Amino acid sequence: MRHGGVTKFSFQNLFGPIIIISALTFFVGRTSASLQLITQFTLCYFMMVLALQVFVGNSGVLSFGHGSFALIGSYISGMLTAPINIKGHALAMNQLWQALVPLHTNIYLALLISAIISAFFAALTGSLLMRLSGLSAGIATFALLGVTYNVFFNNKRIGPGSQALPAVPTISNTYILLLLAALAIVVVYLFNISSLGRTLIATREDAMAAPALGINIYRVRLIAFTLSGFLAGLSGGMYVHVAGTFQVQDYYLEFTFLTLSMLIIGGSASLWGALLGTIVISTIGQLLLMMEQDLPIFGIHAHIPEGSRAVIIAVAFVAVLLWRSSGIANGKEFSIPTFWRK
Amino acid sequence: MALLEISNLVAGYGKVQVISDVSFSLEPGKSIGIVGPNGVGKSTLLLTIAGAISPNAGSIKLDGTSIFGMRPEDIVRRGLSLVPEGRQIFSGLSVKENLSLGLTGRRDKKGSHEAVERMHELFPVLSTHEHHQAGMLSGGQQQQLAIARALISEPKVLLLDEPSLGLAPTVIADVFERLREIIHMGTAVVIVEQRANLVTSFADETIVIRDGKVQSRLTPADATNTDSLNRSYFGAGD
Amino acid sequence: MIQSILDAISLGGLYSLAALGLGLVFGVMRLVNFAHGELITIAAYTLVLTTQFPLLLSLVLTIFVTALVALIMEFAIYRRLRGVSPAIMLVASFGLSTVLQRVYEFTFGALPKSAVVAPSLSGVVKFAGLSITISSVLTIILAVVILLAMGYLVERTSLGLQLRAASADFRTARLLGVRSNRLITAAFVLSGVLASFVAFILVIQNPVVNPYYGLNITILALVGIVIGGISSLRGAALGGFIVGVILSGLNTLLGNGRVYSYTWLFITVLIILLVRPGGLLSKGSELERV
Ligand SMILES: Nc1ncnc2c1ncn2[C@@H]1O[C@H](COP(=O)(O)OP(=O)(O)OP(=O)(O)O)[C@@H](O)[C@H]1O
Ligand SMILES: [Mg+2]
Repeated sequence: MRHGGVTKFSFQNLFGPIIIISALTFFVGRTSASLQLITQFTLCYFMMVLALQVFVGNSGVLSFGHGSFALIGSYISGMLTAPINIKGHALAMNQLWQALVPLHTNIYLALLISAIISAFFAALTGSLLMRLSGLSAGIATFALLGVTYNVFFNNKRIGPGSQALPAVPTISNTYILLLLAALAIVVVYLFNISSLGRTLIATREDAMAAPALGINIYRVRLIAFTLSGFLAGLSGGMYVHVAGTFQVQDYYLEFTFLTLSMLIIGGSASLWGALLGTIVISTIGQLLLMMEQDLPIFGIHAHIPEGSRAVIIAVAFVAVLLWRSSGIANGKEFSIPTFWRK
Repeated sequence: MALLEISNLVAGYGKVQVISDVSFSLEPGKSIGIVGPNGVGKSTLLLTIAGAISPNAGSIKLDGTSIFGMRPEDIVRRGLSLVPEGRQIFSGLSVKENLSLGLTGRRDKKGSHEAVERMHELFPVLSTHEHHQAGMLSGGQQQQLAIARALISEPKVLLLDEPSLGLAPTVIADVFERLREIIHMGTAVVIVEQRANLVTSFADETIVIRDGKVQSRLTPADATNTDSLNRSYFGAGD
Repeated sequence: MIQSILDAISLGGLYSLAALGLGLVFGVMRLVNFAHGELITIAAYTLVLTTQFPLLLSLVLTIFVTALVALIMEFAIYRRLRGVSPAIMLVASFGLSTVLQRVYEFTFGALPKSAVVAPSLSGVVKFAGLSITISSVLTIILAVVILLAMGYLVERTSLGLQLRAASADFRTARLLGVRSNRLITAAFVLSGVLASFVAFILVIQNPVVNPYYGLNITILALVGIVIGGISSLRGAALGGFIVGVILSGLNTLLGNGRVYSYTWLFITVLIILLVRPGGLLSKGSELERV
């Protein structure tokens, strides 16, 4: 995670990823209904990976706690939009605190509220956690995830507990998700090249030298953590409106490791890496799933035994790390020459 | 055939090249001093010879066989020990344990006991503090421990990185007196020093490193000649 | 009451064994080996699948298999990642952990395997009017014996000295002649042996083994080594013990609210880390190495 990343504004660094993600959404999303759904989920994951890039990628501090922001974002957006009669009468919700039942807004306002509250929660927890670094920070953020998960999993007064909240309205238009992702790319890109972002990257390269340069590590990390919490909350919100149901388990270990792997495989030091990682892991996962189900891929049948998909993905993950520990993008942003040379 | 022979050595950290062309050779029972400004790469050079940093090019021969690219644990078994900069004793371990660690680098495990006793003779302070935590020793005592720990493997070549660092003048004289004994017993010694006068007068030959290369070679006679020392050291008059 | 205290101590002992296994490997290569849990899992599988053999043979077999898996991990993966940043190694170990879980699922099936291991060791004894579970007493005895043995190994043998030196400063240790590959291999084998004992204690209490069997205890042991102070084996063992005792204590104290014991545990962990970022046994001035 040593490489420099961006310093000044560049059209191709910014619009390259936007064009690629738009093109993929457009072409893959239209192939079939199931691929459309996959594309929608991938856009949600991408939002999460972007969130992780802003903080983990730029600061070099590992966070396992972002799942809690996604969880909260998803919970809020789900609860604010699920039909009132479901919240009042569904079996899973029979212990729900009655004051929560009538709260209701439309999807877009709910998404915004969920992202803002997640950002607020990130700022709050970050104000304590950002004093830590290294392994302590990793474990502390993990503890944060543990607390959030444990509370939401067991408390049936505030939500469905270990069960699912059904009938959350879905966003059927993929382009709305794409628009959100593109906006997030712009925001993250601008943050990364801002003086704040560059300062944060400088602290990653050399945390010891930062205080000597008059950099307040705590402050820049906290700001990035808050922005990152906003995006993670938004990703949770998007996810709940794609899945159509809220379930606490969706945002725990598996989610955390999947999204972190995407970031690290792609290359955590750049936005382009975040996108590459998301695309590569999602594509491999989808192709292998089709092989498991013995569906043709470009007309070719290549059957693999059921359950081997996960093994192959994990093996591929470890293999990429062995090959290049700084990820596929190796710290570079998108640019046409390097893209062609690959 | 020289005991230690370095030719055209190139080394550094990743893409950053610190040592670009260094050659020297050393006979048994002789000593070489290395001086040069801060950050020029003296420690890098010693670490590379000892195997802690992989060299990029050139050759390093010990007793006629190449040790280029070998692992440090194998190099020490072939008879080359390093006393690293800042001593690097294990402050949480006892003096005895520190010495025992030095024994892991011995070629033959027999004679370990005698080796410990020899170190106690050479550095009496170590036997009186045997069971103390090494971190509790004074700077001079720590330096003696670090030297003893490297010597206990009975190296043919001993590399020392700034043995005088942080020591009072009388203690420095003492440490160098020990070094003289060690050299007298047939060990070849390479000493990196900030104190150019001291090492130039002490060593049989002293090389000055600048810009990753050997800039000049000095003899003990140059030690008294402050002018030539300064010139080669600071590069004045280039 | 007595039973609760015994439970707390036995859980503490168990977690400190798991933490020690993690701490050994961390010490020599700055790797937080998340896949340690999968060592525990394979040990547990081996134990429940070899119940037809005498207990001792089954245990020996388990230690052998587990140490072998640990060695394969080292040779196939971690050896190639030496020198990579600890954060990347940690994430790689997550990947490896997932690989192994899937491999177990593939080999042993997703459904749990179960068999009663050492039936004579489960049950209750009456003692001075109190009834006490045999397993808790056994766990304590076993944990104490193993911790003492480890203590001896680490404090009194040459291997232990090399382990301690390498944990403090690997480069200097190598310069003195400590063979890095051998030492790291030894650390992995030892962590495999410890994982076997952890699994042995676990299966006596819960003989239903699934592919995720070792996950939970590993997470908690990991938390333990960090709050204890990752830079020393003592810290690791102590931290593991504390986590076990706190968790067991919370389970007793919270009664019906025990579903929230993880919440309180993690909050305690957060407080400890905020007060002492380097862990309880850290020297304060020590710079963080990870
Ligand atoms: N671990 C490292 N990674 C990258 N660069 C390094 C590392 N250690 C040292 N350097 C750089 O290599 C150069 C040589 O350092 P070295 O420590 O060898 O110098 P030196 O001659 O021993 O200096 P001094 O007299 O201060 O001990 C310096 O510019 C230093 O910044
Ligand atoms: Mg130096």
